[in-house]
Amino acid sequence: MSGDATKALGKGSSAPGPVPEGLIRIYSMRFCPYSHRTRLVLKAKGIRHEIVNINLRNKPEWYYTKHPLGQIPVLETSQCQLIYESVIACEYLDDAYPGRKLFPCDPYERARQKMLSELFCKVPQLTKECLVALRCRRECTDLKVALRQEFCNLEEILDYQNTTFFGGDCISMIDYLLWPWFERLDVYGIADCVSHTPALRLWIASMKQDPTVCALLTDKSIFQGYLSLYFQNNPNAFDFGLC
Amino acid sequence: MSGVSARSLAKGSAPPGPVPEGLIRVYSMRFCPFAERTLLVLKAKGIRHEVININLKNKPEWFFKKNPLGLVPVLENSKGQLIYESAITCEYLDEAYSGKKLLPEDPYEKACQKMIFELFSKVLTNKKTAFFGGNSLSMIDYLIWPWLERLEALELNECVDHTPKLKLWMAAMRKDPTVSAVLIDVKAHKGFIDLYLQNSPEACDYGL
Repeated sequence: MSGDATKALGKGSSAPGPVPEGLIRIYSMRFCPYSHRTRLVLKAKGIRHEIVNINLRNKPEWYYTKHPLGQIPVLETSQCQLIYESVIACEYLDDAYPGRKLFPCDPYERARQKMLSELFCKVPQLTKECLVALRCRRECTDLKVALRQEFCNLEEILDYQNTTFFGGDCISMIDYLLWPWFERLDVYGIADCVSHTPALRLWIASMKQDPTVCALLTDKSIFQGYLSLYFQNNPNAFDFGLC
Repeated sequence: MSGVSARSLAKGSAPPGPVPEGLIRVYSMRFCPFAERTLLVLKAKGIRHEVININLKNKPEWFFKKNPLGLVPVLENSKGQLIYESAITCEYLDEAYSGKKLLPEDPYEKACQKMIFELFSKVLTNKKTAFFGGNSLSMIDYLIWPWLERLEALELNECVDHTPKLKLWMAAMRKDPTVSAVLIDVKAHKGFIDLYLQNSPEACDYGL
């Protein structure tokens, strides 16, 4: 499989067949941060998978049989089992596949990572609102203040722990769960929101050194191309950058 | 288990000491449905525990050191480790303690339980719109309302504090002319419940 460099399937497309044995399928979209989490875990654990990109503005009718609301990401196994909600999908992959465990083994450390992910929960919505405001040339000072506050909370954790990553000195599940939004700060135009948080900036730099993060990093100009088309309501936005 | 029926600790109270070895402590409140989740799991797994009830209307200052959000339930073990968020406490207990596993071992079956829980949580927190079907009242709101109407009669109102959007939805529903026309008042609900629990044949005609 050629990674995720495939055109997004839209209305009128045929449903893909069953998932071959030995493979797991992810329904995704090249620029979606939630799918990005699950793709990071697939990569980090070396899980053989195929990617089916979905046109989120023009969803295929068959896709609602995979998710009742047509959301991504969704995992589909060769036994036709469907798993959705990005965090649940990530946990499932860590449970179901051998090899490198991304979650710690210790129950308390596992609980800590889950509490940290709760702490992060306002960030996705806030970053999206900032992006939309900036693209629509609206004020977003209050939103940025709120986002900076959320980043301060995360900064406090890193300071208190005095570790490079959120789970300790090695990268683990929680870092992958948070990463997609930090990768997007620059292209969304809100990179200045980490100006007051040096530990978080160090974390971002360390994450960029991780081979899994690097392998999935999206080129900035391609992302910007996607965003421009997306905000012009162009249905081809999702395929921007594909040959 | 000690403490379940104890008076709650409030502002000005002394912080409790460390948790003895071999025990786990849960900070709780007798009427809180979120804390009840954790108590259920402690009971189901036969885990030795002590309960400290917190006065959620007059929280002790020291409680914010246990959970910066100041919410129950919170678990504290003898190593001083703190775990909060009801679903996280429940999963922690299942993983940390031996005996009957409450979550399935199979990764897919476990994921299914979590997906159902997410759907249920979305109902409870009603994140996006004023009403469950959108910005105006519709079928789904009428389908859900009867259970929430009974919350007050069962004295569970305090715990809608965890879910302010739900609280707002309940207030909005009470203003709806249809709901207020059909609403049964708290006294009548309580009267019915009391007689019903006594197996009285008069229960169904309470108030007539």
